[in-house]
Amino acid sequence: MQPTDGVAPFDDPAYLFEAWWPGVRAQAWIEGGRLIRLRAEGMADALTAFGELADELPGRLVEDDVLLDGWLLALDEGGWLDTDLLRRRLAGDHHAGRPAFVASDLLWSAGNDWQRRPFGARRQRLEAVLLDGDRCVVSHALRGEGTLLAEALARFGLGAISARRLDARYRAGPAGDAWLRLPLVPEAITERPRLALIQRLPFPEGSG
Amino acid sequence: MWRGAIQFGLVTIPVKLYLATEQGGIGFNLLHASCLNRIQMKVYCPYHDEVIQRSETVRGYEWSKGKYVVVTEEDVDSVPLKTMRAIEIEMFVNATRDNQGTQFVKAAYYLEPEQIGAKAFFLLKSVLAEQGKSAICKIVLKDREQLAALNPFNTTMLLTTLHWPDEVRALDELNLPEDQIEIKASEKKMAEQLVASMTGDFSADEYHDDYRQALMAVIERKVAGEKPEPATRTEPTNITDLMAALEASVAAARQDRKSAKADVKVVEAEVEAKAPRQRRRKTA
Repeated sequence: MQPTDGVAPFDDPAYLFEAWWPGVRAQAWIEGGRLIRLRAEGMADALTAFGELADELPGRLVEDDVLLDGWLLALDEGGWLDTDLLRRRLAGDHHAGRPAFVASDLLWSAGNDWQRRPFGARRQRLEAVLLDGDRCVVSHALRGEGTLLAEALARFGLGAISARRLDARYRAGPAGDAWLRLPLVPEAITERPRLALIQRLPFPEGSG
Repeated sequence: MWRGAIQFGLVTIPVKLYLATEQGGIGFNLLHASCLNRIQMKVYCPYHDEVIQRSETVRGYEWSKGKYVVVTEEDVDSVPLKTMRAIEIEMFVNATRDNQGTQFVKAAYYLEPEQIGAKAFFLLKSVLAEQGKSAICKIVLKDREQLAALNPFNTTMLLTTLHWPDEVRALDELNLPEDQIEIKASEKKMAEQLVASMTGDFSADEYHDDYRQALMAVIERKVAGEKPEPATRTEPTNITDLMAALEASVAAARQDRKSAKADVKVVEAEVEAKAPRQRRRKTA
């Protein structure tokens, strides 16, 4: 599922808004109580580079046979997002920063395919299935209040927000208006400007 | 220090040249690990198998593999260069970044005019500044003719020596697919907004060599007989802390909106309260 570039944040109760995290989009497959695959944009498998997630993610799930969609991130010593550390980790430096997975969607749960269900239902299921841990969390989101989230995130120095239609199914290829990437006006980027430097890597063909 | 004259046309301005920068790193000496005495670099001749004095050396140019011709001070002095004691201005160019040849700089030198040439010196400086020009010139420094740019700088002028074009590497070896990159209008707008938000006045005084300061602190502790402390690594906070900070930021943004709405209501109430009085005044 590929987002569409929007123009600016807006308010609409039909959408769920969350941060566009400055990381790498990834899908995590947990089966048999193990993280068996971590598929990241531009990489065959990021499991080796993000080995710590294999230790934590399965233990934070209340059910098995789950496919999560989200973001791989790296935090610096101060707990801030750091794209340089992320790049180093993706390049094989296993000691670069502290890895994290922020889940934003759930595609399979308890062995059932949830992709044909509305995003709102998938999201509710995700929040029920994944418990927040030190390295894995569900991305915090606001329904309808895109401009409010934009104001909050501009203070963080993030460069964009995500807007997903709550009634949209998960679908392969371009998302149309079901998923928008809305750039922020970085009015207050002073402390952590590097957070806005989002590295967008091409997703492999046919990956959805 | 170098002494000579700026020359262009029939004008000659005697000046002195001083290095504008100095190495900021911390200097170390090489010691013999067993006795901690400074080692000496000896000049060794493998042909005679003996250590020789530096005064016994001459400069040689390898014109063919293993074949040298000796170049003496007299040979160097006899080089028929106009720029031997002169900063020979070749042309003036607009001092913009489009003059890409002036970006490959080697070293910077301050100029100080001799008393006799002070008026012409500052006249040239003011004209360059007002017209936004840079003087491209040649000068012989360290036995080499060098290309240089002369620019107004603060209360003097700055001479920056440049690499000759054949010393600048070509870009061919790099993978630079700019033509193949498609940039959407929204992406460009976002980048422009980011640049605009981070645009300011550069002040070099605000930047410090943190590594040098930290290394000096280690050295000073060792001089004082203390054992240097290992670098402290604070335990990183986790992703849930970041989410909590995000929640707090959302709450703050929401509060700001409430306050702004309250202010608007107060203003509206004040306007409504005033309006009848104004109407009364008009009707009175």
